[in-house]
Amino acid sequence: MRRKKTQVTAVKDVSFEVDYGELFGLVGPNGAGKTTTIKMLTTMLIPTSGVAKVLGYDVKKDVTKVRQNIGIVLGGERGLYTRVNAIDNLRYFADLYGVPVSVRDKRIKELLQFMGLWDRAKDRVETYSKGMKQRLHLARGLINDPQLIFLDEPTTGLDPEIAKETRNMIRELIEKGKTILLTTHYMFEADELCKRVGIIRNGEVVALDTPSGLKKYVMDTSVVEVQGFGITENEVAKFKGIPDVLAVSADLNEDKQVLKIQTTKGSEIISEVQQILKNSRIYDLNIKEPTLEDAYLRLIEGSRK
Amino acid sequence: MPETHRVIYSAFRMAMLHWMADPQWVIPNIIAPFVFTFVALTLFAGADGSFGLYAVLGGGMMGMWGNTLYASGFAIDFERWQGTLEEVVAAPSNLLHVITGRSVSNALFGLTNMVAILLIAVFVFRVPLGLANPVLFAFSLVLTLLSVSALGLIFASSFVLTRSAQIFTNGLEFPIYVISGSMFPIALLPFWTYPASFILGPTWGIQAIRAAATSADVPLAFWSDIGIMLAITVAYVIVAALLFKLVETKSRRDGTLVQA
Repeated sequence: MRRKKTQVTAVKDVSFEVDYGELFGLVGPNGAGKTTTIKMLTTMLIPTSGVAKVLGYDVKKDVTKVRQNIGIVLGGERGLYTRVNAIDNLRYFADLYGVPVSVRDKRIKELLQFMGLWDRAKDRVETYSKGMKQRLHLARGLINDPQLIFLDEPTTGLDPEIAKETRNMIRELIEKGKTILLTTHYMFEADELCKRVGIIRNGEVVALDTPSGLKKYVMDTSVVEVQGFGITENEVAKFKGIPDVLAVSADLNEDKQVLKIQTTKGSEIISEVQQILKNSRIYDLNIKEPTLEDAYLRLIEGSRK
Repeated sequence: MPETHRVIYSAFRMAMLHWMADPQWVIPNIIAPFVFTFVALTLFAGADGSFGLYAVLGGGMMGMWGNTLYASGFAIDFERWQGTLEEVVAAPSNLLHVITGRSVSNALFGLTNMVAILLIAVFVFRVPLGLANPVLFAFSLVLTLLSVSALGLIFASSFVLTRSAQIFTNGLEFPIYVISGSMFPIALLPFWTYPASFILGPTWGIQAIRAAATSADVPLAFWSDIGIMLAITVAYVIVAALLFKLVETKSRRDGTLVQA
């Protein structure tokens, strides 16, 4: 048996700067290179070429300096010692980050109070809900009082209420003067939180601007949103073939399917939509103003062509 | 850079907290030694006193080494399973110091194995085990514990690269137990195994432990065994530090840290 090793270029020529106190978003589809970028910036991966500086320190040469001054929150339910309590989790990482003993315990208390976990601080983490674990992740990422925090998809997999709670925490961190680099799948999240957003695809930044700046890419378009049942992949493909259709996204897995067609034709396209979907049931059909998600789809689709 | 002793202690403490949180430790530390002692003493029944000592100390060493080796492999896998390996590696502390804390903790836990065997042998099987020099016995035991931990570090470094640590630990447990002379003197082994025995710190440690257990007048050989073991242990730590550096750099370069 032999395992063939293949080399994949996960990130190429990515270039961006983040200002102090800024919440910068990096968005892109799965496998786009977001997490690889974060791993290189946090010294977990060594870039094969190029230069990356974090808080003025080179990620290849000043590894310890970078690590001492950043916080990392990778999200998800894993990444915590679930058999021990929150205090022991934070104490351990405080020691690994060299937080002075004189401030360690006070900071742990402050962080757990800030995250609303102090009442359960002595309970094993395995008894925590998803939301509590996510808050403990954030507390761990702040244990060394970092100037810069990397948040890698912090709301993925969380239910809407907990995700909203997490976003509120992120806002509070910005108010406290932290700099944040956030990756997310959710465009509304990037729109709501980020000062600037970089769209990454196939390891390249295809656009970088403020959310409102990115929306300008789709100012000349409108979005036809169809909610229905029985819509097939073939029908979706037919929309992609219409010349004035710039991007199509479809969520066909749910009971209520949602199809979004970005077009420059406006309401003129409705008759074509009805014609293509004549064998499906349409519950609702609306023409909407484009959102950041539409801008993202167009930019992603555009970079594919 | 975080202070080395704090990182080692914190990793040691975290490992201990996990041991205490998991009642499975009863199996390797109480039940297994009991079975081992029973089998060994049955095999050596009727032999003179020193065989009983070999059986008891050998069983204890086996527990200490088995625990350390298992823990060395498990230390990295444990972090992988918890999903904490990236967080630990991304911290400014040296990964070697983290694993050292875990390794010492597990060797110490393995020592409870030896204590259990001693107690079971003396109180259950009525084996006469008068320790000629208890202070030096304890002294040599603690140094052997550190030497075993340092040997575990060398294995732990290579386990960063593989998900198959458990297979290696299973394969390494008995060969080292035999060639270190834990159960019977290495003089009984073929001569070509001697070089392997001599580069193992525990080989010298077990000799020193036996000397302290059997002779009230500590011979010069005791101190030379201790000296050689310490020199080998320092060499283990240096080699482990170099290996950790190499392995960590390789896994960061290849992107294999988490998915190895």
